[in-house]
Amino acid sequence: MDKQITRPDWRTVEIEGMPQFDMAMKRVYAWFENEIIDRPPVRFQAHNAFLASATEDITSLSREDKKAWWFDVETQVDLFVKSIEGRRFYGETFPIFFPNLGPDVYAAFYGAELTFGEITSWSIPFVRDWEDVDKLVLDWENVYFKKLEELTQHALERCKYKALVGYTDLHPGLDCVAAWRDPQQLCIDMIEAAEKVEQLAELAIADFEMIYNHFDDVLKEAGQLSVSWMGIPSFERMHIPSCDFASLISPKFFQRFGLPILEREVKSMTHSVFHVDGRGVAKNINTILMVPEVHAIQLVQGVGDDYPIMQWVPFIEDLQARDIPVIVDLSKKELDDFIAVMDSRGLFLWVATESEEEETEILKRVEKWK
Amino acid sequence: MDGELKAIYDAILEGDMESVTEGVHASLDAGEAPGEILNTALISAMERVGNLFEEGEYFVPEMLVAARAMKAGLEILRPHLADSGVDPVGKVVIGTVKGDLHDIGKNLVGMMLEGAGFEIVDLGTDVTPDLFVAAIQEGADVVGLSALLTTTMPTMKNTIQAIEESGLRDQVKIIIGGAPVTADYARQIGADGYAPDASQAASLAKELIS
Repeated sequence: MDKQITRPDWRTVEIEGMPQFDMAMKRVYAWFENEIIDRPPVRFQAHNAFLASATEDITSLSREDKKAWWFDVETQVDLFVKSIEGRRFYGETFPIFFPNLGPDVYAAFYGAELTFGEITSWSIPFVRDWEDVDKLVLDWENVYFKKLEELTQHALERCKYKALVGYTDLHPGLDCVAAWRDPQQLCIDMIEAAEKVEQLAELAIADFEMIYNHFDDVLKEAGQLSVSWMGIPSFERMHIPSCDFASLISPKFFQRFGLPILEREVKSMTHSVFHVDGRGVAKNINTILMVPEVHAIQLVQGVGDDYPIMQWVPFIEDLQARDIPVIVDLSKKELDDFIAVMDSRGLFLWVATESEEEETEILKRVEKWK
Repeated sequence: MDGELKAIYDAILEGDMESVTEGVHASLDAGEAPGEILNTALISAMERVGNLFEEGEYFVPEMLVAARAMKAGLEILRPHLADSGVDPVGKVVIGTVKGDLHDIGKNLVGMMLEGAGFEIVDLGTDVTPDLFVAAIQEGADVVGLSALLTTTMPTMKNTIQAIEESGLRDQVKIIIGGAPVTADYARQIGADGYAPDASQAASLAKELIS
């Protein structure tokens, strides 16, 4: 793989609870190049932990009130700010607020309605007939788009010196198509209306770079870095391509329908980390790695029988052999067994902890890991 | 398997709805027993679909079109099955638990169970425990609970508790499934079984009521 990551103009972003910001960024950049300065990078927050940390119990709210809660800009930013108050961030744990209306928000920019639950939202598929495809037009004045802008602006004011502010979870591609069409129907479409799927896929990626640039410009003008939910900042252009829908389909279908989108999605990015969520997506790794601009992989073990981490060792070692940096999400009780068998090259550990003492202790163990 | 039944069987594997309906009509016209068509062609074909899924040959799209083709054949057969006294092997109530709107896994399970000869009552998604209880009161042999979020898994436990409190626990077998679910979790919350995919859910349901 020919990775040409240009050296950016380093700058320090002051964050109260993270005096080691500069060194942490250097470790992140080294990781992208499969290098280690003094130790592999470590983030002390498990995958999706943000869903639980900056929230409150809204189970008793009606569907409409749940939406109102998600849309309440002050509440959303306040909850985040309170969740990080007085905290010290160790390792490569960057505190980040990213405006969040759920993973289907990209589909909503084109007219899908979202229904909101306690920790996520779902789109209501609305491309029922092929004539509905004509409705799929990007609307810059869309209520969800405007709300994300509002959340971003408010966070930029409230999070100064407290946290980085990032951009939302963008899912162009097959996840967007599934949100428009319904995942079950899309599965059938792939067999019975392949050209229509390709048409939808084209629509799902066509405006992606414009949308990305829009939020990137806002953040960069405010002195922010490029970062989203994954918590890996870049001074340049960081993106998280993913395709959870790929867990449902064959590698052959992913190559036909997903690969062309992925190639376009990452073309202009300097730091792309593909989110591999469990075994279902991992089966497509060879296709994913056909794209040289996929610079790294985030491996989430998945849930259920995709635990524990040790079953993933061959998969991770294969990525190391291919010089692909990997984020590995594991529990603290898995850590010792894992580092006992693994070479540390190219690995970025994510571990959930319960105290600062645990974090400093884990960092000491990782410093000895070669 | 005779030629016509084999043709239906093959058409299901290929997801060819039109050929399945033609074949079922032709078999009935030829005097084939409805139960024979159901067991030898439809159910056997769906068992094979399940095997192919477990072997990594078929994925969700292939299963869906096969199940849809089977269902089309079953709709034609249904009145004939009733007339000839062929009953479903059992009745299964399925639903995605409260707070969770994911449905594709549940739908696949429903299709595979139907393909295995069960009657299905599909309660949909975001289903409260009391709705499961009400459905069991109408008659059920198996209850299938689906959850795709770790945050909605606890609702499976609440649902089982509600079934216990209603005095209906001994009347049904409860199976659970969904990406975050494990066999361990099924044991912890008092379910009768766990299935990692739709094909195994159908096998498990048959085993539990036999």
